[in-house]
Amino acid sequence: MGEQGHYLYAVTRGLEPSALSGASGLRGEPLRVLEHRGLAAVLSTVDLDEFGEEALHRHLEDLAWLEEVARAHDSVVQAVSAVGAAAPMRLATIFQSDDGVRARLDELHDALTAALDRVEGRREWSVKAFAPDRRVAAAEPASTDPGSGAAYLRRKKAQTMERQTAEEEAMSAADAVHHALAAQCVASRRLRPQDPRLTGHDGTMTLNGAYLVAEDEASSFTAAATRLAEEHPDARIEVHGPWPPYSFATLEQP
Amino acid sequence: MTEPLRILPQRLETDSESVEKDLFKLVLTVIELVRQLMEKQALRRVDEGDLTDDQVEGLGMGLMHLEQAMQELKDRYDLTTADLNIDLGPLGTLLSE
Amino acid sequence: MTEVETRSEPRGQISLVDLLDRLLGTGVVLAGDVVISLSGVDLVEVRLHALITTVRAEMRAEGTAR
Repeated sequence: MGEQGHYLYAVTRGLEPSALSGASGLRGEPLRVLEHRGLAAVLSTVDLDEFGEEALHRHLEDLAWLEEVARAHDSVVQAVSAVGAAAPMRLATIFQSDDGVRARLDELHDALTAALDRVEGRREWSVKAFAPDRRVAAAEPASTDPGSGAAYLRRKKAQTMERQTAEEEAMSAADAVHHALAAQCVASRRLRPQDPRLTGHDGTMTLNGAYLVAEDEASSFTAAATRLAEEHPDARIEVHGPWPPYSFATLEQP
Repeated sequence: MTEPLRILPQRLETDSESVEKDLFKLVLTVIELVRQLMEKQALRRVDEGDLTDDQVEGLGMGLMHLEQAMQELKDRYDLTTADLNIDLGPLGTLLSE
Repeated sequence: MTEVETRSEPRGQISLVDLLDRLLGTGVVLAGDVVISLSGVDLVEVRLHALITTVRAEMRAEGTAR
C-alpha cells in the first residue's frame, strides 16, 4: 500500500470488542474501533492512491466504483447498526491520522451524541408514492372546418386543465400519506423525489419519505402503510426497510 | 460538494446503420419541445384575452396542422412520443406528455 | 387488490439510488445533456438544458412585457 488514510464509516458508542468481528471494511481490510470521550469511531485503513482528494474526485464520477464503495460502506453501517445506535458518515469521510479522527469527534461530540440518542432503538423506513401513469390522448386529425382552430385550442386547454388536476390530486394524495405516516413515527423527512430514469419506475415520484420508527413499532407502522396503500391505490405505494437511520443521524459535514 | 452528483451525460450510441434514426429522434425531440412550448404560450395569450377571434382561429389552425405534421413524422419513423422523451434528468421529462 | 411491497431487509438490499442519496450529501441526478457518438467515438455534445432554459426565459420575458 502507498500512503494510507483512515476511512470512517460510522460513529457509535458502548461497542463490545467482539461485536464487529464478522464484518470487514473496504478492500477486505479489518475494521478498527477508536474510542474517544464515550464515542466509538468505526474505521478501516484505505490507500490514498484510491481515496486521496485527487483520486476521489475522479472516482466519484465512476458509477461502478461508487457502487462498490457504497455497498461496502453500507455493509459496515448495517453491522454497526445491528448492535447499537449508529450515526453513519457520508461516503468517503477520510482522515490522515487517529488524531484527526479524535479532533473531528471533539468537534461533533454534542451533535453526534444527540444523533445517537435520537436513533437509539429505532430504524429508518422508506415509503414512496408515485403519480398515476397517464394515458396521452392521440392527436386528432386536423380539420378544415371553420372554427376548428378555436376548437383545437379549447381542447388543448381542457387537456392542460385535466393534467393539472391530476398532478394536484397526486400531490395531495402524497401529502396525505406522508402526514398520516408522520403521525405514526418518531421523526420523518421528505427527501427529494428520484428521477424515474435512475430508478426504473414509471411516472413521477410524488413522495420519497423517510420515517424513524421504534423497533417494536415496526409492524404497526407497516400495517398503517398497507392501509394507506389500499386507500390510495393509484399512488403505487412502496415500503422498504428497516434500514440503518441514514436520514436521521448522518450529520451535514462542513 | 454543493452540487448533486451528475451521472455522465446520456450517450446516443450510434453505428452507421442506426445513426439516421437516432439523430432523427434527437431532432424530432427538439421540434416536439418547441411545438409544445408554442402551444403553451398560445394558450396563455388566449387566456390573457387580448387576441381577436381571427387571431385565435389562426393560431389554433396553425398549431393543429403542426400537431398533425408532427404525428406524420413520428409515424414515418415509427416513433411514439415516449420514444422521443430522451433522458434529460433534472428537467424531469422533457416533454410534458 | 393492492400490493404493497413490504420487505424486511436486514442486509444490503437498499437500492443503489436510495443508498447514494443517503451516502452522498447531495444525492444523484442525471446530467441533462446528450452526447452523440458514432462507432464508439464521441462527436457532439448537445446541451439541451441550456437550450430549454433560454427558450423559457424568453417566454417569461415575453409574458410579462404585454
